[in-house]
Amino acid sequence: MRKAHKRNHLLIHILLIAGIAITVFPFLWMVFTSFKTLPESMQIPPTILPESINWENYKYVLNVLPFGRVYLNTIVVTVITVLIQVLFCTMAAYGFARIDFPFKNAIFIVLLSILMVPGQIFLLPQYLIIQNMGLLNTLPGLFLPNLFSAFGTFLLRQFFMSLPKELEEAALLDGCNRFQIFGRIMLPLVQSGIVALVIFTAKFAWNDFMWPLIVNTDPAKMTLAPALSLLKGQYATNFPVQMAGAVMSVIPMIVLFFIFQKQFIEGVAQSGIKG
Amino acid sequence: MSSKNTLQSTRKKPSRRQKQDWFAGYIFIAPVAIGLFIFYIIPFIQNFWFSFNDVNKFNVATFVGMQNYQDLLKEPDLILALKNTFLYALITVPIGLALSLFVAALLNTKIKGTYFYRTIYFLPSVTMAAAVALVWKLIFHGEFGILNEVLKLFGIQGESWLTNPHTALFCAMIVAIWGSVGYNMVILLAGMQGISKSYYEAAELDGASPARTFFKITLPLLSPTIFFVSITGLIGAFQVFDSLYMMIGPENPAFNAVKTMNVLFYQNAFMYGYKGYAAAISIFMFVIIMVITVIQLIAQKKWVNYD
Amino acid sequence: MKNHVKKLMAFGLATALSVSMFAGCGSSETASNGKVELVMSVWDSDQEPVMKELCEKYSETHENVVIKTQLSPWSEYWTKLEASATGSAAPDIITMNVLHVEEYADAGILMDLTEAEAKSDLHINDNFPAPLVKGYTVNGKLYGIPKDFDTNAIFYNKELFDAAGVEYPKDGMTFEEFRAKCEELKDKLPEGIYPTAINRNSGQTTYNASIYANGGYVLNEDNTKSGWDDPKTIEGVQPWLDLVLDGLSPTLEQMNDTDPDSMFQGGRLAMYLSGNYMIPSYNKTLEGKFGVAQRPSVNGKFTDIINGLAFSVSANTKHPEEAADFALWLGSKEAQEIQGKSGTVISARNDCQELYLETYPDLNLQIFLDNVKDSELLPHCMVTSELGNVSKDFFDQAWRGEISLTEAGKLAAEAQNAVLDKMNAK
Repeated sequence: MRKAHKRNHLLIHILLIAGIAITVFPFLWMVFTSFKTLPESMQIPPTILPESINWENYKYVLNVLPFGRVYLNTIVVTVITVLIQVLFCTMAAYGFARIDFPFKNAIFIVLLSILMVPGQIFLLPQYLIIQNMGLLNTLPGLFLPNLFSAFGTFLLRQFFMSLPKELEEAALLDGCNRFQIFGRIMLPLVQSGIVALVIFTAKFAWNDFMWPLIVNTDPAKMTLAPALSLLKGQYATNFPVQMAGAVMSVIPMIVLFFIFQKQFIEGVAQSGIKG
Repeated sequence: MSSKNTLQSTRKKPSRRQKQDWFAGYIFIAPVAIGLFIFYIIPFIQNFWFSFNDVNKFNVATFVGMQNYQDLLKEPDLILALKNTFLYALITVPIGLALSLFVAALLNTKIKGTYFYRTIYFLPSVTMAAAVALVWKLIFHGEFGILNEVLKLFGIQGESWLTNPHTALFCAMIVAIWGSVGYNMVILLAGMQGISKSYYEAAELDGASPARTFFKITLPLLSPTIFFVSITGLIGAFQVFDSLYMMIGPENPAFNAVKTMNVLFYQNAFMYGYKGYAAAISIFMFVIIMVITVIQLIAQKKWVNYD
Repeated sequence: MKNHVKKLMAFGLATALSVSMFAGCGSSETASNGKVELVMSVWDSDQEPVMKELCEKYSETHENVVIKTQLSPWSEYWTKLEASATGSAAPDIITMNVLHVEEYADAGILMDLTEAEAKSDLHINDNFPAPLVKGYTVNGKLYGIPKDFDTNAIFYNKELFDAAGVEYPKDGMTFEEFRAKCEELKDKLPEGIYPTAINRNSGQTTYNASIYANGGYVLNEDNTKSGWDDPKTIEGVQPWLDLVLDGLSPTLEQMNDTDPDSMFQGGRLAMYLSGNYMIPSYNKTLEGKFGVAQRPSVNGKFTDIINGLAFSVSANTKHPEEAADFALWLGSKEAQEIQGKSGTVISARNDCQELYLETYPDLNLQIFLDNVKDSELLPHCMVTSELGNVSKDFFDQAWRGEISLTEAGKLAAEAQNAVLDKMNAK
C-alpha cells in the first residue's frame, strides 16, 4: 500500500512538472526577453537566456511611469472591487440558490443574459452613466460598474446549490432567520467558492484596461493596465520594454495568489466541511 | 436533482413564513439586481433599440426598422464568422475543461508542493492579456520565434504561425487553452475541496482505485462546478475577441481567417462606427448563446447532481 | 475563518462608503482658485513634455487659465475621444489628425474656428503650408490650427552599410538607382537582414506619393470613386511591390510578425522609408548610427506625402473663448518656436520650420522641409479605415504574388466604390 502510494505520488509529480514546463515557459520567456536589448530580442536564431542581465528596460519603465502611484491606485481599486463585489455576489447567490420567491427564475435569467452579449456594448453607456453621476476621474468611477457581477453571482449560486437542504431546514426549525442562516451556516460552507471569486475578481480588477482608460483621464488616478499601454508606441513595438512592464505588473498578483491560496484553500481543506 | 425543485415557485397562497422568505430573498438579491440593472440591463435595452436604428459613432440614432438585420443576413463574412466562432468554442472548451479537470484532480491529492504547483499553474491567468498576446507573438514568431527553434531540433522547418491563415486560429486556440487551464483549475479545485472527505474514506476502505474514485465520486459530486465551468467557458469562447485582436490584429493577412462574430461586432462598432449594425450583430449572437445556454440548462438535469 | 470573512466584508463596506464620500468633486471645470481650467488631449508620450511646456508658457501671460494635458495611448485615443464626445465631455483642446477631422466636424463636436481666426493676427493662409490648412477646412470652415507636419525620407543604418561596404544612399536618387542599391545590398548583407521593407499599408511613406507622381490617384476629388482601377495608379505602385516580390524586402508575413519600424530599430533593415516623426523613436536604439536621404524620384518627380496634426477645440467646451484663444496661440510664432526647438516634430508654421534643423545636427533634416513644396496631403475621407479593410485581402494577395496588382486593384476599387456609395448615400 505505502509503496503504491509513493509510486503514485511520483507519477503525479512527473505529470505536474511536465505540465509546468508548458505552462510556465511563456512566462519565463517574458522574463528573459525583458532583460534583452531590442536588437538581441530580434536576433536570428534567438538567444534563450539574455546575453547579460540588462536592467535598462526596467529603468526605462520606472522612468516613464510613476509606478508607486500606479501600484497604489490599482491596489485600492482592486481591494474595494473585490470586497464589495464578493459580498454582493454572495448575498445574491444565496438568495437565488436557497430561497423561493416570485419571479426568481425570470430575474436570474435576465441577469445571466448580461454575460451573453459582447462586453464592449456596455462601455459607452456606462461611461455616460458615470458621467451623469459626476464620477468621471474619480476613484469610485473606476470601480462602480464592476461591483456588480452576474458571473460571480452565477458562480456562487452553483456552490450554494450543492449544499445539502437539511442544513437550512434544521436551522429554520430552530428559529433562525434567513440572515442568520446566511451568515452563520451557509457562508462558511462556500468559502472555497468565495476564494475562487476573490481571485478572479482581483485578477480582473488588477488587469482591467479599457474601462479605467476611458473613464479616467487624471494621471494621478491611473491604474496599471492603462499605464502600461503607454509604453506602446504608435508605430513600433519595443518587445523588451513591454515585457519588463508586464513582469512588473504580474509580480504582485503572483504574491497575492500565493498567500491567498495558502490561507484559504488549504484552510478549507483541513477543516473538512460537509462531513 | 432533488424532487423538490428550488427553481419552482409554488402556486398556493403564500403563508406568513413564505412571505418573510420572499422579502428576505429580495433583500439578498437587491444590491446585485439593482446594480446590474443600472449598469448592464439598461445599456442592454438601449443596445437592443439601437439594433433597429442607424447609429453613428456619437450615438445619434435614426430608426431604420429591420434594415440592420436584413443587412446582417447579407453580410459576406457572416458564415465565416459563425464557422470560426463555433470551431473555436467547440475545440477550446472541451479540451480546456478536460485538462483543467485533470490538473485539478492531480492537485487534489496529498502530494508535497501543492502551493507551488497551484501558483505556477495559475500564472497564465493572472498575466495581463496584452502581455500574454505579446509574449505568444514572440513565441510563434516566424523568424526569431522559439517554437521554430524547438521544431528545428526535430528537423521541422517552422513558419510564421500567426500570419498563416491556416494556422492562426489554432494558435489562438492554444493560447486560449493555455490561459484557461489555471483559471478553471482553481474553480474546480475549490469545488473538489468542498466534497466531504468521508466519501473518499469510504472509497478507500472499499479498496477502490484512484481512477474509480475519481469517476464514481469526484465527478458526480463536482458536476455543479463542472456545469458552471462549461457554461461560462462556452459563453466566453463565443465572445472571443481580445486575444485575437491583440495577438493577430486587423493588419495581419490572417485576420480574416480568425474573424469571429465578436471581431465582426468590434470592427463595425469601433472601427467603422456602424453602431446600429453592430448592435444587430450582438443581438444575433445573444440569441445563439441564449439558445445554447438554455439547451445546457435543460441538459444539466440529466447529469448535474445538486444536493 | 468565519470571522475573517465577516471582518473583511465589513471593512469593504466601510471603505466603499468612505470612498464614495469623496466622489463627485473630481471633474470640476473651474479650479477652486477661480481659474479657468482647460484640458488638452495628446497621444504621443514623446511630445507630452513640450505640450506641458506650452501650457505653462500660456499661463504665464494668461494668469487666469490653467491647462492640463491628457495623455492616452494611440491605439485607444480615438475610442476614448469618441466616448467623451458622445457625452459632450470631450477635452477642450483636441489633438486632431486629418483622418478624423471631417467626421468630428460633421458631428458637430468641433468648434468652427473661422471667425476667431479671422479676428486674430494668425493669418493662417500666409503662415502655414496650404495642404495642411486645406486638410483642416471642412465645407469652407476651419476646424483646426495646424500643429506640425511630417514628410518622408529614406532612413539608413550606417553600420549595416559600412559592414556591407556599400555607399550610403544619396539625395536625388531616381527610383531605379534606389532599386539598384537594394540589389547591391541584397548580395552583401548577412542572412536575415534586408535592404528595405515595403509593407502593404506603408503607402504614406512609400507608394502613395508615386501614385501622384505618375498621374494616378487613390481617391478622386469629391470622394466618390476609388482610383485603384486606374492603370496610372497601378504603375505608380508596381515598382515598390516588385521590391517585395523580388526578395529585396521581407515578405508580408515577416512584416506582420515584426513591424518594419521595429525591424529598422533592431538593425534588421539597411534602409527604411519613414516619416520624420520616427526620429526620436529610432534614436532610442540607433542614435548616431543612422542617416537620412531624400526619397527617390519617380518620373523625375520628388513628390511626397505630407501629413500633419492640428489643434481643434471642442464645440462643447465650457470656456469657448479661452479655449479658442489658446488654440490660436498654439499657432503663434512664440508657441510654434517652443515646439520646433524641442525636436519632436516639425512645427507647421512656415517661419518656425527651420528650427527643426538644429535639433538633430548630425542628420540632414533639410530634406523634410524641402519636400513640402512638392507634396500632396495624405489621402483621406470619412470612411478611410473601412476602405482599407475591404481592400486589404486583395492587396495581401498581390503582396504575396498570388494575383497581379492590376487584378488586386480592380477588386479593391470595386469593394471601395461600394463603401463610398454607401457613405455618399447618407
